[in-house]
Amino acid sequence: MAEFKLNEAKLDELVNALKSEGYRVVAPVEEEGVFVFKEVVDPGEMRLDVLRTARSIKEWFFPRVEPTLRYKFDRGSVTCKGEMPQSPPKTVIIGCRPCDSASLPILDKLFDWDFRDEYWFKRREATTVVAVACDAPDSYCFCTSVGGSPDGTAGSDLLMRKTVGGCYLFESFTKKGWSIIETAKGTLEPAGQNEKVLVGEVPKRFDLNSVKPWLDNNFDHDYWKEISYKCLSCGACAFVCPTCHCFDIQDEADLQGGVRLKGWDSCCLPIFTRHGSGYNPRDTRDARYRQRVMHKFTYYVDKFGLTACVGCGRCCVSCPIDMNICTVVAGAAELAETST
Amino acid sequence: MSADIYQPYLMRVEETTDEAPGIRTLKLVFQDTVAGQNFSFRAGQFGLYSVFGEGECTFCIASSPTRKGYIECSFQQVGRVTRALRSLEVGDTVGFRGPYGNWFPLDEMKGKNVILIGMGIGLAPVRSVIWNCLDLRDDFRDVTVIVGSRSVDLLVYKRELRQWEEMPDVNLVKTVDPGGETPDWDGKVGFVPTVVEEVAPSPDNAIVVICGPPIGIKFTLLSLEKLGFSPDQVYTTLENKMKCGLGKCGRCNVGNTYVCKDGPVFTAAQLKSLPQEF
Amino acid sequence: MIEELRHKARELLEKGQVELVIGYGAGSDPTRTMPVFIRRPEDCDHLVWNKYCYNNLTSYLTWPELKTAGKRAVVCKGCDAKAIVVLCKENRIEREEVVVIGMSCEGVGEPLFGKCEFCDVRTPKTCDIQIGATLPPLSKDNLFEDVRQLEAGNAAERWEFWRRQFSRCIKCYACRQACPLCYCTQCIVERNQPQWIATSSHPKGNFAWNVVRALHLAGRCIGCGECERVCPSNIPLMLANKKLAQVVKEQFGYESGYDIDEPLPMASFMPDDSDELFK
Repeated sequence: MAEFKLNEAKLDELVNALKSEGYRVVAPVEEEGVFVFKEVVDPGEMRLDVLRTARSIKEWFFPRVEPTLRYKFDRGSVTCKGEMPQSPPKTVIIGCRPCDSASLPILDKLFDWDFRDEYWFKRREATTVVAVACDAPDSYCFCTSVGGSPDGTAGSDLLMRKTVGGCYLFESFTKKGWSIIETAKGTLEPAGQNEKVLVGEVPKRFDLNSVKPWLDNNFDHDYWKEISYKCLSCGACAFVCPTCHCFDIQDEADLQGGVRLKGWDSCCLPIFTRHGSGYNPRDTRDARYRQRVMHKFTYYVDKFGLTACVGCGRCCVSCPIDMNICTVVAGAAELAETST
Repeated sequence: MSADIYQPYLMRVEETTDEAPGIRTLKLVFQDTVAGQNFSFRAGQFGLYSVFGEGECTFCIASSPTRKGYIECSFQQVGRVTRALRSLEVGDTVGFRGPYGNWFPLDEMKGKNVILIGMGIGLAPVRSVIWNCLDLRDDFRDVTVIVGSRSVDLLVYKRELRQWEEMPDVNLVKTVDPGGETPDWDGKVGFVPTVVEEVAPSPDNAIVVICGPPIGIKFTLLSLEKLGFSPDQVYTTLENKMKCGLGKCGRCNVGNTYVCKDGPVFTAAQLKSLPQEF
Repeated sequence: MIEELRHKARELLEKGQVELVIGYGAGSDPTRTMPVFIRRPEDCDHLVWNKYCYNNLTSYLTWPELKTAGKRAVVCKGCDAKAIVVLCKENRIEREEVVVIGMSCEGVGEPLFGKCEFCDVRTPKTCDIQIGATLPPLSKDNLFEDVRQLEAGNAAERWEFWRRQFSRCIKCYACRQACPLCYCTQCIVERNQPQWIATSSHPKGNFAWNVVRALHLAGRCIGCGECERVCPSNIPLMLANKKLAQVVKEQFGYESGYDIDEPLPMASFMPDDSDELFK
C-alpha cells in the first residue's frame, strides 16, 4: 500500500529536493530528438511521460566504454593502475519503466557468477531506482510474456504509479526507496485509501513454457534461416537492450602508455566470434540471430534461472528492418504448439 | 578495496623458445614473487595473456602445475596480439589473468592408463598434463603420448619429445602427416587417427586426453570409438574466441555453456551434446 | 500499384526469370514494413507498397549468403535504384543478375522524409519494370540548404556541432549495415593491425568512425538516407554525406547513382580535374 503521493505539478520540486540531498538525478531527457537517460540539470527537462527511451538504464551501471587499467611504458617495463571506480556518485534513476528495472536483477546474476564484477555492483550499490508504472503501453510492449508487468516491482527501490487525479503514488520496497521518500517528504502528500490508479494492459503474446522446450530441440530448424534473411547484422538491438551485456576488451595505447577498455559488443555483429586465425563459427546471419534468441530465452534460463528479456520492445523499435523478437518468439511458440 | 577481476598479474619474460615456424613458447615469472609462490592452477586451465598496448589473448597454461613460480604458454602467431607476443624479448613485461576455466581430471586419471594425444599446437595443453603425470609418475599406470604434426619442422616441444622418447616408462609415438617427413625422420608417417589405430591402446581402465585442430579431433574420436573407447573416457579442450575469460562478456557462449567457465575441458560426450558452433 | 507489383513479381517467379524477389512486406505494426524474401509465386501476395517502405533493399545484393540465391528481383524506390548503378560500376554485381522493379514514389515517411522534398527520381531512372505512372522530378535547388546553414557557422561552431553529434554514437554500425554501399568484407574498423579506428564508443573513436565512413562514401553515397533513419541516436549523418556530395559535385561535376557509364570520381583521374583540392 502506498502511503504517499506526489502531485505531478511538484515533479520539479522533487528533483530539486533530491539534488539538495546530494543525489545525482538521472531521468529521461530529450537529446537531439531522442529520449535517453541523462543527468538532469534543469528539473524541467525530466520527462516521465516517455514510454520508451531510445536506450536503457544499463549504461548507468555498465557504461558504453570504461577503462579497467591504465599503464605507462618505461624503458621496457610497464606500470599499471587499476581504474575500477571505487566510489561512484550517489545516484537516483527516476522514470525508468518496470521492464527497465527488471533487467537489473537479471544482469546481477551474471555479474556475480563466481567472479563478482565490482564495476557493476559498486554502481548498483550507489544507485536507487525509481520506476514509473506504465499506464499507456504500446504495441511493441510484451513484458507480460516474459514474466513482467506494467506495474512490476522487480529491480526497483520505489515505484511511482500515476493516478486519475494527476498524482504519482509512491510505493517503496527497500531501504533505498525509503530514503527517497524521506528526502522527498517536503513535496509529498499522504495518499488516500482509494486512490484510482491508471493501469495499462499488455496482452500476453506467448507462453515461455512452450517456447523453451522448442528452442532446446530445434537448433537446426529452418525457422532460423527464414526469419533471419532480412537481418542486417548490426548491433542496434543489443545496444538498446536493457539485458544485453556482451562486451569487448580493447587496448588503446601510444609509445608512452595506454588504457585497457571494456566496451559494448554484440553477438549479432559479424566478427563477434571470429578467431585470430580467421575461422568464425558463427559467420552467417541465421547462426548469429539464433544465438541471440537462444541465449536470451534458453541458455540464460539454464544458467541463471531467468529469461534475459524484459519485453521492453526497444530492439523491435530500433531495428532497421523491423525484426521483432516478440514475433519471432511467438512464432516459435506457434511451431511448438503445432508440432505437439 | 574490492577485488578488480580484470586486473592482470605483471609477468616478466624469462625465456623464449621458438618451437616451430610461427610458434613460440614463453616462460613467464611473476614480478610479484609472493604472488608467484602462491599461484596455483590445474592442468587444462587457461589464462588471458596480454601485451600492454596490443591486447589480451587466450591460451592454455602449457606448463605443469607441479612446477611453481612460473607458467609457460605456447602460441601460434595469427593476429595482432600473437604478433606482439612473438616479438617480446627476455625481460619484457606481459600481463596475465588466470587461472580460468575447468581442468583435466588428473585425480580420476590416477591409477589408470593415460593416453595423451596432441596434434600441432594442440600439444600445448596436453603438455601440461604430460609433465603433470610424469612429475607424479607413480600415480599413473601406462603413459602413452602420441604426438602428430603436419611436418617435422612444425613439431612443437622438440627438445621435450626427445626427453619423453628416452624415458623408459613413457611410450612416445611421434608421427608426421604423409609428405611431412624428412630423410632422417625416425618416427611414424601417417595421420594421427591412423596412428592411434595402429598403436591401438586398450580402453580398459584408460582415459584419453586429446587436443588439436577440430578436424583432427573429429577423426581421432572416430578412431578411438572404433577401438572401444566411450565418449566419456575422452577429454579434450576447446579453443574459443574469448575476451574476459570469466563468464561475463558472452563471447564464448555455446549452447548453455560458457567455454571459459564450464570448459575449456569437455568430454567427447559433452561436446557431442553442444550445438556445433565452435 | 500494389496489385501490379504483386502480379509482375508473381510473373517473374512463375516464368523462372528470377529465383528470388526481395520486396517489402507488412511490418509489426501498421506504420512499418519489413524486407521480405519471396521464392514462391503464391507468396507475392505478401508484397506491399506504401509510404512506410523505407528500407533500401539493394543492401542485400552484396550479402555473400544471397549471392548463390540465383537471379534476383529487387523492389526499388528511385533513391534505392541509384545504388544499383554504383554497385554495377564498382563491380559488385552484374546488371543482368538483378531485375529492378522500380516503384513510382511520392515520398516515404510520416511526416515526409527530408530527402523526398528534393527527389528527382520519383520514378526510378534505373529499372527494368516500372510500376506506377511516371512522376516528374522535384527541384533540387534547395537540396543543400541544410549544408549551407551549417557552413554559415565558423570553424569552432561547426567543430562543436559535430563533436556533440558524434559523441552520441554508440558504435552499433547500423548505419554501415543499412548502407548498400558499405559492403567491405572486412570493414576498416575491424582491422586491428593497426587499429585504424578505435572500436570503443568514446568521442575519439566515434568521431573517427563517422568521419571515415563519410569519407569512404564520398562520391559514392546515393543519398538514400538509410544511415540516418536507422541511427538509434538520431545523428544527422546525411548532413555529412551531403556536404561531401556537394564537394564532389562542385569539384568533379559528378553526382552518384545516375550514369552507369560515367567513371567513378574517386577511382579515376581526368586531366581537366580541378587542382583546388591540392591547395
